[in-house]
Amino acid sequence: MSEPMFWMLLNGLWETIVMTFVSGFFGFVIGLPAGVLLFLTRKGQILDNRPVNRALSVFVNIFRSIPFIILIVWMIPFTRMLVGTSIGVLAALVPLSVGAAPFVGRMVENSLLEVPHGLIEAARAMGATPLQIVRKVLLPEALPSIVNGASIALIALVGYSAMGGAVGAGGLGQIGYQYGYVGYDILVMNTVLILLVALVFLIQLTGQYISRKVDHRK
Amino acid sequence: MIELRNVTKTFYKNKAAIHALSDVSLEVAEGEIFGVIGASGAGKSTLIRCINLLERPSKGEIIVNGQALTTLSPRQLARERRHIGMIFQHFNLLSSRTVFGNVAFPLELSHTPAHEIKTRVNELLTLVGLQEKQSDYPASLSGGQKQRVAIARTLASNPRVLLCDEATSALDPETTLSILSLLKDINRRFRITILLITHEMNVVKAICDKVAIISEGTLIEQGTVSEIFSHPRKELTRRFIASSVHFSIPEEYRQRLSQLPDGPGYPLVKLEFNAESTDLPLLSTVARLFNVDNHIVSAQLEQAGTARFGIMLVKLTGTPENTQLAIEYYIANHVKAEILGYV
Repeated sequence: MSEPMFWMLLNGLWETIVMTFVSGFFGFVIGLPAGVLLFLTRKGQILDNRPVNRALSVFVNIFRSIPFIILIVWMIPFTRMLVGTSIGVLAALVPLSVGAAPFVGRMVENSLLEVPHGLIEAARAMGATPLQIVRKVLLPEALPSIVNGASIALIALVGYSAMGGAVGAGGLGQIGYQYGYVGYDILVMNTVLILLVALVFLIQLTGQYISRKVDHRK
Repeated sequence: MIELRNVTKTFYKNKAAIHALSDVSLEVAEGEIFGVIGASGAGKSTLIRCINLLERPSKGEIIVNGQALTTLSPRQLARERRHIGMIFQHFNLLSSRTVFGNVAFPLELSHTPAHEIKTRVNELLTLVGLQEKQSDYPASLSGGQKQRVAIARTLASNPRVLLCDEATSALDPETTLSILSLLKDINRRFRITILLITHEMNVVKAICDKVAIISEGTLIEQGTVSEIFSHPRKELTRRFIASSVHFSIPEEYRQRLSQLPDGPGYPLVKLEFNAESTDLPLLSTVARLFNVDNHIVSAQLEQAGTARFGIMLVKLTGTPENTQLAIEYYIANHVKAEILGYV
């Protein structure tokens, strides 16, 4: 492998990592409150509110059902408005974050559902406000599960970012697409694959490690 | 201290109304321990959850500490709840926090400064005897220890009232007794009014001053523990009282027991004493009057409040006529006597 090729792959890896984690971060910034709200407004929960829950749920479902490759194209005008361009890593962050958010939202909602209802009840009996219940009971108690969900979300984002590469987002996906699908360079294609697999394993193992560290349930 | 006025709670399930509580009124005076006993599904859980409005009653008033709770705004209610402690059957400790963190929790809710939290938590953990466990997580504690942490946690905000929702139902008998004596101690020491619900008469017997019996959402009987145990008016109450006395025929007697008075068999008699009969020296009177001997096979006499009651199993030896007279004498003196067989 030539030296420019090596640097290109390294740069691609870096871009993929940036896309995965930055959009993962923004996905959480939007998805976490959405997930909490989805949970709190459920029937029998502390902010039980059918209309809000129904509306939010429909909204989340719509975004989850759009195939990512279409979401990228569909969002181009919005992306241009937000970051001034529709190609490159920066532009890819917009649809990636928007694609990750509803996924994260559902995942957070599910994690919160695992928290025993008695804990919420005890906190209410002690005079906790809804915000205190979220901050001091729900999120800390659901943390091991949320961390596991976060690694699943990040792994999905590795895949999404590679898909984005096919339409000019940069990263390993674009290299794999150009040298593999278009140019059929076996060495580059396989290196890209190995790097992606390694990245996924790293995220999964780190996620499991952190989740175990914060789990005091047994 | 706690007053419920005509509290009714109706749930709707698939449009069918379920009356969990109908027209319940009760009053718990300051410093009292009040027990509500009932079978599962009788509405006792709904009752206790209505007191701090975890469940909002459909009708009626709830007055705790002079404050009518149903009229408060959510913010005021949250503040008022800090003076109403509550402990649960399944403890409900936060698994993500250490013992220290759990006891500190209510203090954090009311924005207590960190150094004050530290002294207060240490004080409380000493009170419940768990100071050396302060940095352990709840998962490593036994049931009794978990309930002690929960008690320390609920005492942290100096409640005037403590609600116990089946607090000992998940514990073994020995641990139950230690938790009950801790509750009694707290009640005496800090004059905290306690309202507890349970399905075990033993709990009522052990610590309550007053008791109410709940069935199908209504309080069918209430009064001081001594009153209820000595003059139960309802059949259900009698059954609860009987359930708190353990009775069984020893295996050795069971094998020899025959239903007919054949051969040299003497009657094996179950004597049930209530408050009116236990003060009389009945066994020796019977022996003297009818020349009958009472061989005590097993006996359990209990005290609840000032009422004494219990069950005794005796073999009566004497002539058949005399034993018959003896049994009639027992019955005339408020002892429920029943011939179980002959040995």
